Amino acid sequence: MSFAIADTCFLIDWSSWRRRNLLFRLFTTVFVPETVLREVESEDVVEWIAGSLASGNLSLFTETPDILGEARHLVERTRLIPRVRGVDIPEAVCLVAGRRRGYTVLTENRGALMAASLLEEYRGVKVWRALEIIYELLRRRLIPAESPAAVFKEYEKETGHIFPKGDLENAVRRL
Amino acid sequence: MTDIRGWLRLEEEARKIRRSEADWKFIEEQPARVKAALKYYVETGDLYVASRIAGLTVEGFNNLRKRAKIPNVI
Repeated sequence: MSFAIADTCFLIDWSSWRRRNLLFRLFTTVFVPETVLREVESEDVVEWIAGSLASGNLSLFTETPDILGEARHLVERTRLIPRVRGVDIPEAVCLVAGRRRGYTVLTENRGALMAASLLEEYRGVKVWRALEIIYELLRRRLIPAESPAAVFKEYEKETGHIFPKGDLENAVRRL
Repeated sequence: MTDIRGWLRLEEEARKIRRSEADWKFIEEQPARVKAALKYYVETGDLYVASRIAGLTVEGFNNLRKRAKIPNVI
């Protein structure tokens, strides 16, 4: 059984992909914080989220005052590192939940990746982008693909998301 | 694990891609708030803060980002 928690920038890109429901083959439940839910508005995205909440694949994550307090502290800490991208409250909430509950954090926010890489108490948090999720789907053969590169390309085309060249080449090579 | 220098290099690479692929004519034609938000996004890649500057939801701003042809590089 595995849980994840998703932030807004991940969900709005991911929900545009034709294979979006494969996410639920990797995670039993993906939590969506209320702060994230407030940031979506288009019919397609809202319908997908509502349908997935109804089926139990997604679940609402209500932030408690102590989680919000730690998230606010995390926001401040990342702003203290010169020139490094800070995190904002929505992704900070995801990182705090990831640290406290062991959830995988799903994000496309570089600040969240940096925080999990640079701040010692968040180093154990698993942070995945769409790149890592697609890699895992391909590795487990949950996507039948003759060409892994074509699957990544399909995601880029349908979501307008660009993977960093080096990371993409590395993922394809490992497959 | 990537160190601070590695992250800064990745940030600079992403910034260059956003600058070069953005539709600057579209950006310049937008109302002041939206224009400032799009320019902020090109420089930082920070969707949440950009959406607050524009006065939009994150998804609303993300749709605008796509119309401005600014790639989300991460």
